[in-house]
Amino acid sequence: MDLNLRIAGEAGQGVQTTGGLLVGALAEMGLHVFAMQSYMSRIRGGLNWFDVRIADEPLWSGRREADVLVALRPEALATLQPHVAKTGAVILDGECRDGCLGIPLAKVAKEMGGSDVMANAVAAGAVFAVLGYDLKPLVDYLSVIFKKKGPEVIGKNHRCAEEGARLAASFAGRVRGPKPSGRPVTVASGTEAVGLGAATAGVKFVASYPMTPSTGVFTYLASVADAYGIVVEQAEDEIAAINMVAGATYAGVPAMTTTSGGGFSLMVEGLSLAGMLELPVVILVGQRPGPATGLPTRTAQQDLLFALHAGHGEFPRAIFAPGTPEQAYHLARRALETAHKFQTPVILLTDQFLADLQVDTPPLDGTLRPIDRHILASPPPDYVRYAVTASGISPRALPGGGAPVVLDSDAHTEDGHITEDLEAHVRLQDKRMAKLKGMAAEALGPERYGDEEAETILICWGSTYGPCREAVDRLRAKGEPAAMLHFSQVWPLDAGAVRRAMGLEGGVKRPKRFLGVEGNATGQFAIVLREAGVEAAVEPLLQCDGMPFTGEAIAERTGL
Amino acid sequence: MINPPSDNRPAWCPGCGNFGILKVFDRAIAAAGIDRNRLVLVSGIGQAAKLPHYTRANVFNGLHGRALPAATGIKLANHDLEVVVTSGDGDMYGEGGNHFLHTLRRNIGLKMFVHNNQVYGLTKGQASPTSDEGFVTKVQTHGVILRPVMPLALAIVEDCSFVARSFVGDMEHLEAMMTAALKHKGGTALLDILQPCVSFNKVNTWQWYRDRVRPIDESHDPFDRVKAMDLALRWGDEIPIGIVYRSNRPSFESRLPALEKGTLVAQFEAAEARE
Repeated sequence: MDLNLRIAGEAGQGVQTTGGLLVGALAEMGLHVFAMQSYMSRIRGGLNWFDVRIADEPLWSGRREADVLVALRPEALATLQPHVAKTGAVILDGECRDGCLGIPLAKVAKEMGGSDVMANAVAAGAVFAVLGYDLKPLVDYLSVIFKKKGPEVIGKNHRCAEEGARLAASFAGRVRGPKPSGRPVTVASGTEAVGLGAATAGVKFVASYPMTPSTGVFTYLASVADAYGIVVEQAEDEIAAINMVAGATYAGVPAMTTTSGGGFSLMVEGLSLAGMLELPVVILVGQRPGPATGLPTRTAQQDLLFALHAGHGEFPRAIFAPGTPEQAYHLARRALETAHKFQTPVILLTDQFLADLQVDTPPLDGTLRPIDRHILASPPPDYVRYAVTASGISPRALPGGGAPVVLDSDAHTEDGHITEDLEAHVRLQDKRMAKLKGMAAEALGPERYGDEEAETILICWGSTYGPCREAVDRLRAKGEPAAMLHFSQVWPLDAGAVRRAMGLEGGVKRPKRFLGVEGNATGQFAIVLREAGVEAAVEPLLQCDGMPFTGEAIAERTGL
Repeated sequence: MINPPSDNRPAWCPGCGNFGILKVFDRAIAAAGIDRNRLVLVSGIGQAAKLPHYTRANVFNGLHGRALPAATGIKLANHDLEVVVTSGDGDMYGEGGNHFLHTLRRNIGLKMFVHNNQVYGLTKGQASPTSDEGFVTKVQTHGVILRPVMPLALAIVEDCSFVARSFVGDMEHLEAMMTAALKHKGGTALLDILQPCVSFNKVNTWQWYRDRVRPIDESHDPFDRVKAMDLALRWGDEIPIGIVYRSNRPSFESRLPALEKGTLVAQFEAAEARE
């Protein structure tokens, strides 16, 4: 069984703090947790909400209906009360009619704790009571998170939580919570997982210009910069950011930039530069709906074809699209490794949904384990940067290493110097493009989940992993065989391996139906499949309203 | 395929000021005692930006206008490298104008040698950010209306730690300025080098500059910001050349805690060795 707890209010009212407190305390109790946020592009006002879904089994996505709604403003009820389950409960900060539970959260916080900041503890206490949970795990969790602030602050928070629970006594146990295992789980967000993956891989330099929804990774890396020895620089614009990263990689350190579609547009010339100079530049693109400024705080998968084709001229690139925080952690490293092995730019394509979601995840290793940069330590005196090889990968030395390292964005000869020799241009272009073959051979194949003999297969990539997985589970629970194929690497693809995974060749029974689940209007990954040489009719199952997919909506839309 | 001839000789016009800059550059590198193994020349696009190809050093010849951010990334990854940006007025003050401003704010340890010929050469004669008002071109057919960028004044406003100007027609002066800039420790050094374009600038000729440049009086105290600004704003009948401004502002890289334990590249290699 699972429940969805929704905290709603204005921006700046403590929606996130209350949600975060519930996530932390419930995870400590050993519940499976899936949290996600809906917020507006503003600092104060509007209507934001934070969903905390809890269950006694793993969770993969959010859902539309809430079982408990905590409204920090009465205005939130107009929009969100219609989406509360019939068996659910509503808690309102203030006076209440229509059978909801009114608790003056901020007022109580002021009385019990001396500050309305502690309204989140009052609300959490009330929610615990409504769910029929003992207050002790919440009280213990408050002691842990306020340890640094001392016993006085801890005591005030305890009193707030206890008073919240007392005032909710009339609703106690009204919405029974799932049974906790008692074994604490760790929770990770997409943002911190991708950041930690990069930091532990040995990223030493990060230059970015803030842009939602990628800013979290930028600030996460700044927060661990002292611990891991990273220089984090806020560039004057995205053009500077990518050129700084290009310079840093040339000098020999793993480096990356973070942005979203609009900023990535500004980086495109720099991306092409990294292709020409053969530099291991890594760009995290957190997608949001466009075109132009679009919906800054919402989610989308609209920039796949853009990421694939961005940049003038032709050069190889890889694109990774993690589906879960755990994948994000591993793929951040993989992106850096691939960029260094093949000396070419790599894009990590995420989105607002993945960036902000929080889910219980096996503990992520925080140990620094530097990637292999594939550097030629002692270059010979006649070293040239762009020696032609069968793999297209030239031995790479660093400036200061004993032999000059010469790069030019112009067409160049093997020694990196400018040339207008057309034969040299063709030679070096062929060398660069040859790398794509090696990259395709190493490409991660799709992950399959579901029934062996399923006739309907959901095709998905990036953040739709979880919602598709829940959809498959829902269909199977109804007795409908279903499966999904999730691509966490979307370019290059090993076409043969993909065809086999899809059952298009290899003597297996061909599935009847492929459904392309994507957060865009044109079915971009279906286009990528064709571009890679995988011919299959993929029926679109698209959504691009800015909200993430849910498992229940996908299952329903399959028509099964 | 008909393959046009290609070689490594400078692609500059006969009589171009860039030849003199290159000659003096090689002398100044020697005079400042710079190890070419640790020397990185960074440039953007334009005729001046080709200079790195005609000497011996590590080279990052990147995008138009983007030499400064690339150089910033290089310097932050390995601040033991001597990073010299050598590019034209269009590249540095026009296309890269935003980076110019913010590089000055950072005061990062880069040397900027800007070949300033007040015209776009490689694209054949349009106005540059330093073209004087009234300068007529095939695009600015009624003459330039915009005020020229005043790079030295901008640099002083942002407290750049070394600000100088020279003229390629006075090679001794240029060598002294380049050497002083190369020896400057503790932040950004800007050297604006006046350089005639013999093909596309028929106004600001060798003679035009010769008639106007005046070495700054030895009594000038470059640490006096107000007097420095007065010199930086002079342009026209008299153009001061020499070290206009200096400040003791510490360099960007010296203020980054992450670099206290050595260069980033050395720290990465140390972590690699521990693995």
